[in-house]
Amino acid sequence: MLQATEYNIGSYLSWFHRTRDFSKVIRRKSLVYTQKAMLLVFIGIAVYLTTIIIAILIALKGGLAVLISAALIIVLPVIIAYLLVIPLVVGQYAIQKPKERRMLEAAQARLRKQHCRKIAIAGSYGKTTFKETLATILSETLHVAASPGNMNTPIGLANFIQKLDGSEDVLIFEFGEERVGDVKRLCELTHPNMGVITGISEAHLSSFKTMEAVTSTVLELREYLKSYDVYKNGENEFITAVIPASDHHLYSEEGVNGWKVSKIATSIEGTSFVATKHNKTIWAHTSLIGRHQVGPLVACIDIADKLGLSVTDIAEGIKKTKPFEHRMQPYTLLGATIIDDTYNGNLKGVAAGIDVLKSAKANRKIYVTPGLVEQGELKEVNHVKIGHMIADSDIDEVVLMNNSVTQYIAQGMKENGYQGHTRIVDEPLEFYTNLSHYVASGDVVLLQNDWSDNYA
Amino acid sequence: MKTVAVFFGGRSAEHDVSIITALSSVIKPLELTEKYKVAPVYITKDGRWYMHDKLKDIKQYQGSGIEELLASIKPVSIDFDGGFSLVQSTRFGQKRMKIDIAFPAMHGTFGEDGSLMGLLDMANVPYVGCDLQSSVVAMDKILSKAVAKEAGLPTVQDVTFSASEYHENSSSMLDRIEQELSFPAFVKPPHLGSSVGVMKVIDRASLTEAIDTALHYDNNVLVEKAVANLREATLPIMGYGDTIIPALLEEPLFNSDEFFDFDTKYLRGGKGGKKAGGKMSGKQGAQGYSNVPANFPEELYAEVESIAVAGFKAAGCCGIARVDILIDEKANQVYFNEINPLPGSLYAHNWAKAGYSNVALVEKLIEFAIARFDERQKLITTFDTSFLKQF
Repeated sequence: MLQATEYNIGSYLSWFHRTRDFSKVIRRKSLVYTQKAMLLVFIGIAVYLTTIIIAILIALKGGLAVLISAALIIVLPVIIAYLLVIPLVVGQYAIQKPKERRMLEAAQARLRKQHCRKIAIAGSYGKTTFKETLATILSETLHVAASPGNMNTPIGLANFIQKLDGSEDVLIFEFGEERVGDVKRLCELTHPNMGVITGISEAHLSSFKTMEAVTSTVLELREYLKSYDVYKNGENEFITAVIPASDHHLYSEEGVNGWKVSKIATSIEGTSFVATKHNKTIWAHTSLIGRHQVGPLVACIDIADKLGLSVTDIAEGIKKTKPFEHRMQPYTLLGATIIDDTYNGNLKGVAAGIDVLKSAKANRKIYVTPGLVEQGELKEVNHVKIGHMIADSDIDEVVLMNNSVTQYIAQGMKENGYQGHTRIVDEPLEFYTNLSHYVASGDVVLLQNDWSDNYA
Repeated sequence: MKTVAVFFGGRSAEHDVSIITALSSVIKPLELTEKYKVAPVYITKDGRWYMHDKLKDIKQYQGSGIEELLASIKPVSIDFDGGFSLVQSTRFGQKRMKIDIAFPAMHGTFGEDGSLMGLLDMANVPYVGCDLQSSVVAMDKILSKAVAKEAGLPTVQDVTFSASEYHENSSSMLDRIEQELSFPAFVKPPHLGSSVGVMKVIDRASLTEAIDTALHYDNNVLVEKAVANLREATLPIMGYGDTIIPALLEEPLFNSDEFFDFDTKYLRGGKGGKKAGGKMSGKQGAQGYSNVPANFPEELYAEVESIAVAGFKAAGCCGIARVDILIDEKANQVYFNEINPLPGSLYAHNWAKAGYSNVALVEKLIEFAIARFDERQKLITTFDTSFLKQF
């Protein structure tokens, strides 16, 4: 479980304190034997055997000593669970943190020498898709480098910066945030001169505690980039609550900064629309799925236009954009269309996905979700909302992974009179592995959200 | 949670095919429903019954594992205890498992032919698929053709006879076949599936040899005139009572002068051999090399489907079955051919294309089984009389 929480001691201990039944906690992933994991396993076994030997030696004295030894053996698993944290903490302070500090300083020094367009992307959701889409479009004519995958921590970005060759025209950084001040720290590391705020939602609410804290952290990007362009998602209510509607950089499916959008058409094959500004017209077609893609795409169009790309290059670039792994990514299985949106982790994304499923033409529409993690105090409210959305969306079958939020989704479905079939699955891994047994030709199946073992 | 016993293996030439049907298309989907406890009941080639969770794993059957496993466990016995229970001796006494629903996944003799269904009827337990009567009709090519003819369905011209009739005067029987059918023709043992013992004959010599071969498998022989300009089609159907659900018409692909024997069907993955699909799997279907749906003109498709459905009904089939059809393409003539009361791997590949997932298919089949069982419970089978008082 330490590995599942990426060796985050707080998350690990939180899981340990919350869990009552340890007999079956691994449902999704199994241990990968890395050096770190092997070392911890070795320490665990060594502590275990040493304690057993000590217990036996104590027990040899007889009388009360036997009881003490028995008690020691009984509580041994709990002791080991805590003892394993010690080498991690020591390792972090003695080795990892000084090493990280040196990496960050080197990355800052490296970036100071490179004068180019540096675009920072922050938000609770949609960052990776925006980053990849923008990089694909700008790469039509510019030399672009974007931070890979969802490497969005200071160390992740420092690693990325060290690999740059210095000739890039545009650098795109994805910013992750889990605590107040995270975005500001990343700004100080990368010194961006353009920004994008993709949206604010309840993701990571468990660590932020309040929505105000989430909002102010994401908006640290705007604070930092006072004199530069910052594009903001105008379809997000947390953003529109604090940004005036007159802001030219609020993007939506209607347009941004003078670009007007028309003729939007979406299907599970892709999305198309027309964007016009003065004498420029772009006929955009992408295989990205969902109407919610239009706003970010028109923001990308404006950025590309600002960086000097022609309308032809922009249209070509958009044509090359495609769904990213586990983000509204369609594939075919036995004639069924499976839309993999398992990296989606927020209510807005759930709504967008369900909207696509609702409008899809299908023999059966099947929706699969374990629910959302890290919803903090909104856990119940948000999952009841998901239940409402399901009930209102003409979905034939719903598959819920049995966990602590299932009851709330089921409650929402019941409240809005869901008429379809509900399947509650106890073994998610078994379900996903055997998906081919559940689907048939003509089905459209939306797999949303992910729920790793430490959230059970 | 109800217990579903899945029966597979058996004393049949299609023993191994049955293992694939059970493991790929029945047991796994049943477990995935999370509605049923699944008990695998494996019947060896010599007729012993075993029940163990490890029997759900295909790897057990691919080496010597199965012998080792069976040597370590005791066979089960049947207990008609007002229902149907399987009893297994263990080190600590007896382990008894009450079966709520039976799911036969057996092909050929002593399984698909009605034998197992008779046992299950005696035990008064609901079971999936064709019942005793329809299984008997479907598994007898002579009987099923007679039933189809009676229902007004077109069938290929044939000559049928028993072993004793043939041996009484084989020469006149051969003359009769030559006169009535001419060559080429097909010689079939009427009770075997998967084309076992079926031979194409082109002259009197090959006819004699084929009849001798067929009589090794069966006491009766069916000789059919070969259909010219042949296209074949097969249609999996499921249903009970008024609910009849056809899947998609499937056309096996091969040249008109060839036919699928057991080896072609199961061991070489269809006519194209391994290159065309390798060994049989549930996804590929028994033929492993076919068009689904069949690329027929709309009118022909409708006619073939209608004859297949009529054949299913005429034989009294319920649950699931697959009806084979022969077509003389030039003459535009469609013939009912035969019925397979338990299609290999349930023809799950076809059902998936028709919109029924493996899980939905087994759930539906269990629904039909329970509906039939409930219906039969309403029938009066005994009544009190004063007959014995006379004695």
